[in-house]
This record gives sequence, C-alpha cells and structure tokens, in this order.
Amino acid sequence: MRKFLLFLLLGIFVASCDDDDLGPITTVNLNFKATYDGDPLVFTIENYTYPDGKLIKFTRLNFFVSNIALLEETGGEAEVADIEYVNFTDNTTLAEAETPITISNDKVPTGTYKGIRIGIGVPSSMNNASAKDRPAGHPLRDNYNNEYWSDWDSFIFLKSEGTYDANGSGIDGNGDNGFGHHPGTNEVYRTLIFNDPIVLEEGKAFDFNFELDVQKLYVKDGIPLDLTVEENLDTQSPSDLALAKYIMDNFVNAFVLVK
Amino acid sequence: MKKILIASLFLAILLNACQDDDGPTGPTGNNGIDLTGIPCGPTDHELVIPPGLPSMLIPEDNKLTDQGIELGRFLFYDPILSADSTVSCASCHDMKFNFSDDKALAVGINGQLGPRSSMPLINIGFFNTGLFWDGRSPHLEDQALHPVENPLEMGETWDNVVVKLQNHSTYRKMFREAFCISNSQEITKELAAKALAQFQRTLISANSRFDQKRFQGNTNPFLWSDEEVDGYLIYFDDATGSEVLGHCAHCHDGQALLSSERFENNGIQEVATLNDFPDKGLGAITGKLADNGKFKAPSLRNIELSAPYMHDGRFNTLEEVIEHYNSGGHYADNLLLASIQPLHLTANDKANLIAFLKTFTDTSYYSNPAFQNPFK
Repeated sequence: MRKFLLFLLLGIFVASCDDDDLGPITTVNLNFKATYDGDPLVFTIENYTYPDGKLIKFTRLNFFVSNIALLEETGGEAEVADIEYVNFTDNTTLAEAETPITISNDKVPTGTYKGIRIGIGVPSSMNNASAKDRPAGHPLRDNYNNEYWSDWDSFIFLKSEGTYDANGSGIDGNGDNGFGHHPGTNEVYRTLIFNDPIVLEEGKAFDFNFELDVQKLYVKDGIPLDLTVEENLDTQSPSDLALAKYIMDNFVNAFVLVK
Repeated sequence: MKKILIASLFLAILLNACQDDDGPTGPTGNNGIDLTGIPCGPTDHELVIPPGLPSMLIPEDNKLTDQGIELGRFLFYDPILSADSTVSCASCHDMKFNFSDDKALAVGINGQLGPRSSMPLINIGFFNTGLFWDGRSPHLEDQALHPVENPLEMGETWDNVVVKLQNHSTYRKMFREAFCISNSQEITKELAAKALAQFQRTLISANSRFDQKRFQGNTNPFLWSDEEVDGYLIYFDDATGSEVLGHCAHCHDGQALLSSERFENNGIQEVATLNDFPDKGLGAITGKLADNGKFKAPSLRNIELSAPYMHDGRFNTLEEVIEHYNSGGHYADNLLLASIQPLHLTANDKANLIAFLKTFTDTSYYSNPAFQNPFK
C-alpha cells in the first residue's frame, strides 16, 4: 500500500512537471498589414505615387519575422514565435489588403511586460541549408524552395518587387523599371524593439497590430531611393549589399506598432 | 437441340465466372473477392535524399512502401487507366524525356490535344505548392486523380477504372500487398492515387554535373567548361562587374530542385489587359484577376531533354527560350518585371547560358530498373 501511494505521488509529481504547465496563459495575436503612404497596399492591380511624383506598383512583398518575444522588466522574456513567414503578395483587392495576416500563439504566459521584440529576417542560427530538412509546416521548410538563395547560402529575408514608372509616362511597359529587392545574409538581419508596457491577462487575447509602410522602406532622411538608377533596382550581386542594408535599416521607420 | 444450346450457354456462363480474371473481364460480384489468403505486410521504403535536395514532405497516411511504389509503377505504365486502353501516364511522361514528352501539347485518347504541354515529373515529390501548370492540385494524391477523368487525357471514369482493377487478379494481389486490403471491393481510386503518388515520389534525379560540382564536392577543375562557368554567373546574377544579369534563378533556384515553385507571368503572351489571356492559368483556379496568365515555374533539371518549352510548348529550342527572355517579353500588369526585362545578352552570353543549362542534364536514372516500364 505504501509503495502504491509512493508511485501515485510520483505520478502526480511527474505530471505536474509537464512542459505544458506554464502557469496562467493567454493568446497573443500578431496582426500584420502592408500599407503605402498610409493606404492599404493592393498588389499588382493598383498604382501608387512614389515620393518623386512618379508611379510605382508592387507585385510582391514577403518577409520573415523571428525571435519574437515579450520582454520582462527583469530581463527575462516570453517567446511568442521563433520564426514566421509573412506574405502580402496575394492581397490584390482592397478587402484583402485591409485584412491583416495574423500569427497566433495561445500559450503565452500572462503578466506584465515592458515591450515586444521582433526580428526581421532569419536569425543566423537558422539561416542555412539545413532548413530543408525541417518538418513540414515549418516556415523555413515550407518556403525553402522559394526563399533560399543557394548562391548566398542564405534565406532571402525580404522580397519587395514591382514596377517603377521611370520615364514618367505611366506604368505601361514602356520606359518602366522593374525592381526586385531581395536582402539576405546574416549581415542584414535587423531587430526591432517596441517599448510599450503590456499586461496580459488569463483568457483575454491580446492583439499586436503591426503595419509596414512600404513607401518608407525606400526613403531615408526624406530622400527617396532613386529608382531610375539601374544599380538601385536589385540586390542580387554581392556588390549590392549596401542597398540591401539600406532597405533593411529602413524597417525602423517603416514597421510600426499601431495602437 | 434446344437443350444442347441451353447447356452450352450455361457452361459458357460458368466458365466465364470461373476464369482467372486476368484483365477487365467482368464484375467481381456484389461481395468482391476475399484476399486474406494473400500475405501482406508492406515493407517501409527508405527514400534516400541526395545532397542539395530538400526533405520530401510525405503524408502520414501514405508512407512509402516497396509494395506501394511497385503498384504505383504498374499503374503508371498501364493504359488500363484510360477509356480505350491506349493511354497510360507514361504516354505523356516518358522517362527518356525527363518524364515529360517531346510534344508541344499533351496527346490524349483518340489523338486529342490538350491545352497544355506535359509537365516533367522528375523530382516532382519535392514540390509543395500547387501541382499542374495552374497549381490546381495540392498534392500528388490529388493530382493522380485528375488525368483519368479528363476527357482530353484518359477519358475514363474512376468508377470504371476501379471495376477494371478489382477484376484484375494481378492488381488485386498488388493492392492487397501494398495496402493490406481484405477484399477486392476495397480497391478504390484513392488507393490507386496513393500508389501512383508513392511511385512518383521516387522519381529523383540529382546526378548532373551541376549537382556534382555544387552539392557532391567534385572539385575537378575541368568538370565545367569556362563557358559553363560564365553561364552560371549569368544564371545567378553573379557576374559582378560585367552587370550581365540573367535573372534566371529568381524562379529557378531551390538549390538542386531548380524551381522556386512560384507562379508567374513570364511575358510570353501578348495581351491588352489581364482579362485577355487565352489561358488564364493560375487565375482560372483562384478567380483572381492578378493571377491571370500566371503559370508554375517548372524545374529546369534536364531542361535539355524537355523540349518543347513553356506551358503551351511554343518554343522548340533553348535558343528560342533565351531569346524570349533576352527580349523582355510582353508587358502586362502582373508581369514579373523585376526579372522579365530586356537582358542585353550578347550572342556569347546566350551561348554560355545555354551551355550552363545543359549541366542540369542527368540521364543516370535511365538505367534505374525501378523507374522503367514493368510491362516490357
């Protein structure tokens, strides 16, 4: 009988040590929207006005977000997501553009946090070809074929593609410049921290609403990137690293947490 | 005389009922045929993934087995799937043409032409986004169901095919061995599709000179010619200094897969508006205007063996393909202008690029008996 009770207590103890026992938890939703100068960004179909007055159209925008965590005052943190893939490319109607892409975690410990951290790109620890061996459903495996650039041995962190009305005649296939900005490699990984006190309560979902104003990826110190210049149209060659950094650095201004 | 006639008729019916059913000879009856006397116990098949290729996403409910793969191979090469027993999967997906064919458009029963070219199946198991040129099928288990009932392909119904398979002694045995079914009536189109999917997942090619240099550590300095190295730099936009950019790899990377799996409008069709594409491709599936005229970027593996090219087989040679991309193609609102733009390649650049594309050729699997027609 004593042995039985001992085993029973042991069983209860082991069960109580289960990984899932995180204490009070709740759901955190990360909502992402793409905008252009404040308007919902409709891909492929709509043209927008670049800061220089010419037209611009976007046909693709996707990026990885990673190392997302809520930050505690004490220096600790609660992970929300290790890596996720955000793809706005299919937002080709206004209704789609107005609907956020949501990533959820329903096991985030409740409590008070001082802010949230979010990485743009793939952390160096994950940024290699071994991602192809990850299981189905993992963002790096599912997007390996379309986002891994073997020549760099790196994921492409961000893809922003479109058409710029270089000669001012309108976007019509005459005198337009296609651009394809694909920053990648560990050097262009960027981390953003939003210091904003947050209280998570059990059973009460919390939403973080992020907006990426794509126009701001192309403006620095009030000066837009000159898209008439051929060297500014892509980031594929090793010599294009400076342009890749320019775009990723601009995330600081372009990517905001909306109340 | 009348008695003899009746007796003969009775005997004929009896004999027919007792025959070995080797072929589509008649129904198996309402209760089917008990198969439990046939041993079953499918053997797990360990797929070896060569360097450079990603892990293959295999559904939990259709793990590869030796018996399932073998059944899939038989079905793949058997015209029993078509209405008039003239067309098999292999009719359009011939091993020696990269599991595609040499025709611009797919040819189905009665010589009917389909609207598109046959897609290559080599390495098809590594594709995770929509299958077919228009992406209408989410996975191989679904894809395998389509051609049978397409009137321009096999023109058959799955109901008929299933009856034919249930009445076929060889297939009864093979389905039993692959899936441990107890009765012939448990043969279904879903199981047939699973077997076909299993076989297709084994169609792996990864021993081209491209693979040998990039992924197999072959350091032989003469493995690629100078022309091929130049072509490589153009393909990957790596020609620093010369600014010769081919923009090829944006749609055809994926390491050894040589496809990004993206759907794009690559500018081959001249249209006034996005509504005017004669074949809307992905747009016909999603119903989205922006997707009209978009088609899957296929793998370029064995591209040398895959002519004619494009979803409608409009280009007969690689030279024509490169000429198209060099021209910049036709504008449309959804054109992938970041890559499809005048490339300004010289004759030398074009020749080097084509030389590089031919490093993707791998015929080593030709001799693999596991890929070959079991009926020959």
